[in-house]
Amino acid sequence: MPCEISDKSVAEVKIVSKKRAGIINPMYDCQPAGAQYAGIGVKDSIPLVHGGQGCTMFVRLLFAQHFKENFDIASTSLHEESAVFGGTRRVEEGVMVLARRYPDLRIIPIITTCSTEVIGDDIEGSINVCERALKKEFPDRQIYLAPVHTPSFKGSQVSGYDECVKSMIKTVAKKGAPTGKLNVFPGWVNPGDITQLKYYLSEMGVDATLFMDTEDFDSPMMPDKSIQTHGRTTIEDLQDSANAKATLALARYEGAAAAAYLEEAHNVPNHQINTPYGIKNTDDMLRKISEITGKPIPDSLVRERGIALDAMADLAHMFFANKKVAIFGHADLVLGLAQFCLEVELEPVLLLIGDDQGSKYKKDPRIEELKNSVHFDMEIVHNADLWDLERRIKKGEIKLDLIMGHSKGRYIAIDANIPMVRVGFPTFDRAGLYRKPTIGYKGAMELAEMTANAMFAHMEYTKDREWILNTW
Amino acid sequence: MSKLRQIAFYGKGGIGKSTTSQNTLAALAEMGQKILIVGCDPKADSTRLILHAKAQDTVLSLSAEAGSVEDLELEDVMKTGFKNIKCVESGGPEPGVGCAGRGVITSINFLEENGAYDGVDYVSYDVLGDVVCGGFAMPIRENKAQEIYIVMSGEMMAMYAANNISKGILKYANSGGVRLGGLVCNERQTDKELELAEALAGKLGTKLIHFVPRDNIVQHAELRRMTVLEYDPECKQAQEYRQLANKVHNNAGKGVIPTPITMEELEDLLMEFGIMSREDASIIGKAKAV
Repeated sequence: MPCEISDKSVAEVKIVSKKRAGIINPMYDCQPAGAQYAGIGVKDSIPLVHGGQGCTMFVRLLFAQHFKENFDIASTSLHEESAVFGGTRRVEEGVMVLARRYPDLRIIPIITTCSTEVIGDDIEGSINVCERALKKEFPDRQIYLAPVHTPSFKGSQVSGYDECVKSMIKTVAKKGAPTGKLNVFPGWVNPGDITQLKYYLSEMGVDATLFMDTEDFDSPMMPDKSIQTHGRTTIEDLQDSANAKATLALARYEGAAAAAYLEEAHNVPNHQINTPYGIKNTDDMLRKISEITGKPIPDSLVRERGIALDAMADLAHMFFANKKVAIFGHADLVLGLAQFCLEVELEPVLLLIGDDQGSKYKKDPRIEELKNSVHFDMEIVHNADLWDLERRIKKGEIKLDLIMGHSKGRYIAIDANIPMVRVGFPTFDRAGLYRKPTIGYKGAMELAEMTANAMFAHMEYTKDREWILNTW
Repeated sequence: MSKLRQIAFYGKGGIGKSTTSQNTLAALAEMGQKILIVGCDPKADSTRLILHAKAQDTVLSLSAEAGSVEDLELEDVMKTGFKNIKCVESGGPEPGVGCAGRGVITSINFLEENGAYDGVDYVSYDVLGDVVCGGFAMPIRENKAQEIYIVMSGEMMAMYAANNISKGILKYANSGGVRLGGLVCNERQTDKELELAEALAGKLGTKLIHFVPRDNIVQHAELRRMTVLEYDPECKQAQEYRQLANKVHNNAGKGVIPTPITMEELEDLLMEFGIMSREDASIIGKAKAV
């Protein structure tokens, strides 16, 4: 008997932009939130958020929830009086206070918010004033001040992250002797992902710098009680980004602007590739690194790939085939996970992206690729909120077997009794997720196993063919 | 290509900023300069004489239609007029709502990000009335206009506005590179106008770049939505604007940090020229005797 193969031509990939009448359960935080995440990725950096205190406080809370760690972020604590008379003096005072209080401080990304963008505070001008004052009071120190314009009424935490990475690079990068190193912009990923990337680079013998190296956001508790929770990308790394052999940008919306800037301003060739979710994207990444550096892909990685493939094959057809999945989160994550899903026979029928970058998404080659490869109907909604997911489930418009996304969507899964894989930012309702890779071969394997285990637990909990696991 | 020069025209409402700036820029275009005018007035009438049309599609009205400024293309908002002068109007909300200042910031950011400044010699910002808030100071912020030209006349309130604008420039000159290029006096035929304008320029630490005499031909041209340069290139007034354009062109890098004066000093200045007399102080606040 011939097996039935769905006709490709009947499948449709629809990209829609949600009309915003209001938002119910937003999927992302605002631009300054993303800028703060980028800002803490550098060593000896304290972001200074120019706005009301809440713009810092709630964002710090979010980071603390995700990493179970605390991060130093300062606020100019804008009040009514500054909104009327302008708040640049608070920036100038804030910078000096930080400089006096933190003798090791080397960079302050100055991050604007809604209010300070509307009142039109001249951050570049304030930076001039601060630089003069710093020079006078601390003639032996150099503290970089990076202007980061991130009004929350534009973009999202994704574009805010992109903007801050770009501004720090722009402020610090300096042409000098070639380093022969590789710049890597991994995007907004977890410490576990950074560890994984570093492992690949070291296995291949490639000298690379990560922007940002957030590995220590998973920080140890040491006998000397020292605090190690900080970014590891240094000022020297930022300076030398202009002198690298090439740049590898792993995310199209997170750090890509900085990669493009380095090519434009400092002639560092930029290689933009797909975020390495799944086997093929990881293959492509390693091949690209090999192509740029001339270093071969070592057997150790071929073996890791083999182990991942084996593990995924054990699960794919048996448990994943034809299971309908909804994915929400950052665009690079969502599109990458959709590609991963296709590799293990999961069917991502609904992709939700939370910001309105419609013109950019239209040009994303991953969406084009999805259009050409799926054999089922897929809906990609940008400008979406979590209600877009909840509504479809509640109205019975879609029947889902799995939800993939961050912890803010947990109640949708709980209420609708659908297993959920926690992935993205923030994930605070499962332990230690920030330590687990989701990119690379190992990440693909972890994702597959996490998915399977979520499904298995669900089978047991709902007494739905849980006996199958006796025979597996 | 020479280095991009960014200038801005400020001045009291109704003083003739838009008319003066468009005529001057038309003369600069005649000299072969490639020019971009950025109208930063919600009324969107800064480019009317160059385009022969009022209220072109503004950056903000189109982005409101499209939903976001990111969805706009430069071609949608940039029009070309007399002598290939490129024109953009920022636009803004209707009076009484929203934040026109933010509109100016949004528009200028959009233009910069989309390469509107590539390949031009001059960017000229035409800004409404007074520097009322941070948004309207956008053109004088760091890395924007290098020189500001204040259009004024011998009327007290126009001089008062010029002094206020100088205060704004002083603030931004301390934190950035903006300088006062000079005063342009648009003749209103008030008493001792030239002398007063020169004296005010002296007090502000700058100079009177040009004294533009009053000529009705400007009005005639304006009715046809044209600059004098285009309406009657041979006329005397066109010659005046050419002189002004030349002076602006040769004024590159010669801007100063202004030294604004107090209201009392301004009144003293008027007394000095006999516009107000000392004794007049006794009549302040007194109604006309019946």
